[in-house]
Amino acid sequence: MTETTPVLDDLTDFAVREHRSLWLDAWRRLISNRTAMIGLIVVTTFVLSAVGAHFFWKYDAKMDLDYGAKLLAPVLRVSEESPEIHIFGTDKLGRDIFRRVVHGGWNSLRVGLVAVSISLAIGGILGLLAGFFESADLNRLEQTFLMLAIGLSLGALPAWISAQPIQSLLFGLLGVVSVSTPSFLANKSRLRRLVFGIFGMLIGGFSGIIVGPMVALVCGVIGLGIGLLLAKPVGGKVFSNIVMRIMDIILSFPSYLLAIAIVAFLGPGLEKGMIAIGVVGIPVYARLARSAVLSVSQKEYVLAAQSVGEGHGRILFKHIVPNILSPIIVQATMGLANAILSAAALGFLGLGAIPPEPEWGAMLGDSYKYLSSGAWWAVLFPGLAIMFSVLGFNLLGDGLRDALDPKMRV
Amino acid sequence: MGRYILRRLISVIPTLIGVTLVIFLFQRLIPGDPAVAMLGEHATTENVARIREQFGLDKPAFLDRDALAEGDLSGFFDSQYVRYFGRLLQFDLGDSIHRRIPIAETLQERFPATVELALLSMGLSLIIGIPIGILSSARRNSLLDGTTMVGSLVGVSVPIFWLGIMEIMLFAVILKWLPSGGRLSSGVVIEPITNLLLLDSLLTGNWAGFTDALKHIIMPAISLATIPTAIITRMTRSSMLDVLQEDYIRTASAKGLSERVVLFRHALKNAFLPVITIIGIQVGSLLAGAVLTETIFSWPGIGKWVYDSILGRDYPIVQGVTLLIAIIFMLVNLLVDLSYAILDPRITYE
Repeated sequence: MTETTPVLDDLTDFAVREHRSLWLDAWRRLISNRTAMIGLIVVTTFVLSAVGAHFFWKYDAKMDLDYGAKLLAPVLRVSEESPEIHIFGTDKLGRDIFRRVVHGGWNSLRVGLVAVSISLAIGGILGLLAGFFESADLNRLEQTFLMLAIGLSLGALPAWISAQPIQSLLFGLLGVVSVSTPSFLANKSRLRRLVFGIFGMLIGGFSGIIVGPMVALVCGVIGLGIGLLLAKPVGGKVFSNIVMRIMDIILSFPSYLLAIAIVAFLGPGLEKGMIAIGVVGIPVYARLARSAVLSVSQKEYVLAAQSVGEGHGRILFKHIVPNILSPIIVQATMGLANAILSAAALGFLGLGAIPPEPEWGAMLGDSYKYLSSGAWWAVLFPGLAIMFSVLGFNLLGDGLRDALDPKMRV
Repeated sequence: MGRYILRRLISVIPTLIGVTLVIFLFQRLIPGDPAVAMLGEHATTENVARIREQFGLDKPAFLDRDALAEGDLSGFFDSQYVRYFGRLLQFDLGDSIHRRIPIAETLQERFPATVELALLSMGLSLIIGIPIGILSSARRNSLLDGTTMVGSLVGVSVPIFWLGIMEIMLFAVILKWLPSGGRLSSGVVIEPITNLLLLDSLLTGNWAGFTDALKHIIMPAISLATIPTAIITRMTRSSMLDVLQEDYIRTASAKGLSERVVLFRHALKNAFLPVITIIGIQVGSLLAGAVLTETIFSWPGIGKWVYDSILGRDYPIVQGVTLLIAIIFMLVNLLVDLSYAILDPRITYE
């Protein structure tokens, strides 16, 4: 008898096991993963030192200059020749490299964070909507909005040509009419198209005639085309297609070549770099979010929510979003690593932070010019800072993928 | 298959137009008057006017509605973008502002240098990445596997421009084994056939030229190959791991086939599609990475050219080369899609 008691105890323990949420589970898996922990520690160190330095270690880049201490190799101990400690040495302006690396972290991490936020916010929302509307049937209201938007934006072209904003509105209205008269000539779709086409032509032509005959002709032809298009109310698939085609265009460029080109035209600057890197990253999140939505949209819990009549907004944010968060979190972590690398590349090319502002890539680009002097420390430490921070985010991202989605373990 | 290729080629056209639109819009990003920005603050009014005319900057961007209002239908379409697009259709990428010669002309000199570097780097990453990926999947959780995983993570995290600088520091400045930049030492002549120096020197039997060219290309090729190697290794490994769990692999081992046959004949063939995809994407990163690598090693390819043009504000060159790279990238990805059908008979395109 005494032997069975412990077994029973185990069973009861198992039955009343404490409730753990998905996130707590993921956290436990994360901290039990050695490489992920290394990543987390590295990332935390960089973040804390950068934030700490920014707020508590005063540094004025413009005043930092000491020709007496030019290009000193790392000094770890105070001596006669070197009265100050420079554990990473000094650069050609006699600036302490350690200090600049720590302060540079603030800029580099900030660029990464802002850039990823831009890509995530825009790309994530676009992908979410594209995926959702591709899989779900639009309700009447949504379809009205969609056709209104299509009419307005297509109508903007003749409206601009004839300098009559009213045209855009009229085409928007034509879109709404198309949605609200589904039964009109429903089984004679060609005739229906023709009727809408003629309406479109009249909208374009009549208002164009006020400006000039040629304008009337051009607007009339465009109007005919728009009318033909608006005759058949489109589904969410069209919206999704438009979004994804635009993403394809951005994706046709190798990613950071596009960022370099954008900044080349915008002019250098940390903020411009953030925007460029952020814009380039949009399609990644849009595609990811869309495919994640498509993969869960036919799951039982979504269908169940639909069948009990929950609204689209509620289904999207209460049922779909929580279930696609994990791949997006993983991608965002890896994306931070990429953004830091791209930002450093821009800085290196002289397109990022404006000197003397400390930034890792810019520091490298700066020291690279006097490479032949043999000052290895001036290039080694900023580069190591980039490498370890990027590595940290990559390790953390890898670990997060294992922790958040154990099935996907590779 | 033929119809599929045709359809894919046609489907590329809208994207291509979008790409030209994006590149055209770059010009709108320039703060202030683009003509002044191109020439600098001290440009004469005459020069500014010349540039404005040459680049059609006096025309409206897309469509001329004022011309239309006056009843001029052809004037309506006479715009900067339409002109730009029309020139592109004639393979005219425009002229350099500073040197005043067609971009296409300089491209002929510069492009082979980049192609040579990119081909060698891609070759290196395939030769290193695929075998290591296969081996570490076959010896999962071994020391080799662990080293591979850590190594490939470091590989994708290392800034290639920094790696290049450190290489120069070590091999050129400290050890003085390799030249720090350029394609050839001065005085060495290689008769041009393809303009790929390694190939040309071999074809003409110019051994001294070959070693010199090799010495110059080795460092840039290694730093450019770092990221593709790391990514190809990882992809090969994880794709192989997926396939190795399949039943037919167990069957093949059970019936006594050697490990080599199982790995290469049964597993690799099936694991190769994702690897091909990633290789296609890496071509883009090689071409883009060339901007950094070529800058560091003073490699006279299109990447360095873009960089110099950015500094010199020679915007048409930046636009032209960006467009060229985007087109190459799109074509490579198209080829990747088509290669699926060849590699995997289960995939047919109708």
